[in-house]
Amino acid sequence: MKLGFLVDLHLCMGCKGCEIACKVENEVPLSTWRLRVKYVDVGTFPETKRTFTPLRCNHCENAPCERICPVSALHYIENGIVNIDKERCIGCAGCVMACPYGAIYIDPETQTADKCTYCAHRIASSMMPACVVACPVEANIFGDLEDPTSNISKYIQVHQGDVQVRKPEKGTNPHHYYVGGGNVHLNPLASFRAEGYSLFDKLTTKMPVGGHH
Amino acid sequence: MVHEAVAATHAVVTLDVGLPGIVWPWFVTMNMWAKSIGTGVIFMLFYLQKRHGDDPAVATLRFPVAALSIVFITIFLLFTLADLHQPFRMWHIFFYPHWTSPITIGAIMASVFMGLISGLAFFSLIKKDDAAYDKLLLWTMILAIPVTLYTAALLSMCTARELWQMPTETVQMMLAALLAGSATIILYDAVTGSKMKEESIRSMAIILGLAAATSFIIYMSEFIFGPMKAEEVTVILEAVKGHGEYATMFWVGQVFAYIVPMALVLLSIVNRSNGLLKLAALSAVVGLWVVKHVWLIIPQLLPMS
Repeated sequence: MKLGFLVDLHLCMGCKGCEIACKVENEVPLSTWRLRVKYVDVGTFPETKRTFTPLRCNHCENAPCERICPVSALHYIENGIVNIDKERCIGCAGCVMACPYGAIYIDPETQTADKCTYCAHRIASSMMPACVVACPVEANIFGDLEDPTSNISKYIQVHQGDVQVRKPEKGTNPHHYYVGGGNVHLNPLASFRAEGYSLFDKLTTKMPVGGHH
Repeated sequence: MVHEAVAATHAVVTLDVGLPGIVWPWFVTMNMWAKSIGTGVIFMLFYLQKRHGDDPAVATLRFPVAALSIVFITIFLLFTLADLHQPFRMWHIFFYPHWTSPITIGAIMASVFMGLISGLAFFSLIKKDDAAYDKLLLWTMILAIPVTLYTAALLSMCTARELWQMPTETVQMMLAALLAGSATIILYDAVTGSKMKEESIRSMAIILGLAAATSFIIYMSEFIFGPMKAEEVTVILEAVKGHGEYATMFWVGQVFAYIVPMALVLLSIVNRSNGLLKLAALSAVVGLWVVKHVWLIIPQLLPMS
């Protein structure tokens, strides 16, 4: 079994329901996110369009975070999920630096690394991840990539040619796909990050003794 | 090119979360800087013994070099520990080791290295056994090589922070150790009354000058040609170009670590002036910290998502 995620960006309307469901389900502290929806505006007035991109851990087959973790706190479980053992994590932040998707953060409460686990605890109880349940338009599709009859496999087969992953050139082989994504959705360098449009960007969390600089 | 892409798409982020910013702070700079000195002096003593073994002052360097190495490797280890968000779990590295991680390999090698330099101190200060010291120095010098280099592996495993490339960082780590090691020996000799023979000091000066020149050439190559290779490098180097956030600091580092030492080493050799050489050594040690800091920080400014 290899679990994977697919987001149909044609369907996503940026309601952030998945983001909130994830926060509640996993008790993600203030100022940190396992899953977030990024809004990017494209074009010049009046020809403008707003795009929404849910961003979470890609559960890469060749995960740099798993490779760099000195204590195997980040590890694969049998269903392909890259899970994290917060009791073992030493907080070196190697995984934060190694992840090419910026999907890992230091939990300000536990001072350990944390990230999306595809709600591994829910899956163990045969439930869907919280974000999948919360999505009102079923833009989040989750399932077994090795099962050709699963919803995600069928979706990938139907939308061949329009299925993408983030930063494929990094060789990480993500198990997280997007349908209908363009450069602006998937490449963080294709959009300008202006000041004043970020949530909680002024919050400070407890840092190691060295601080920020 | 990024600006073209952004201009082409007219795309702007209008709602997102704040990005984490600097994750590895100046403590990691201290780590790399102190390690360069701690292993560099070992390389220098080994070289001096082989090349200038007839210099009586070289024989007196055994304990001072061991002591200097212990001091700076201790600084390196303490700052590494302090940078952890869970420092009291450091022992997990030894009890749950993950062998693909340079952090694991580095921690174990650094611990063994600490044992070896402590052994050097023991043989020189307590046992006063020069033969045993010199035998142990060979193994210490050999281990100093991977201890110097492992941080390059760690940086290169940071996917998408493309400024940190494995072959380049490996060479830069070794050059930093040679630069810092030779500069520290020059400064030590100056502080203790300039007892080393002219040829020995000249060797240190040449190593310092060549290490500075080679490092400078590599940094300038990356500065000029790096943006032609990867989009990420283009964006990262914006921080040190023009009015970039770290442009001043970058050039201060390059001047103090490389340009001033290169010039002063040359002048000191031509004029046989030890005074200029001391200045070169001091400038290199100070400048190296700045250079390492800028190169550590700027890839962390890159938006990853």
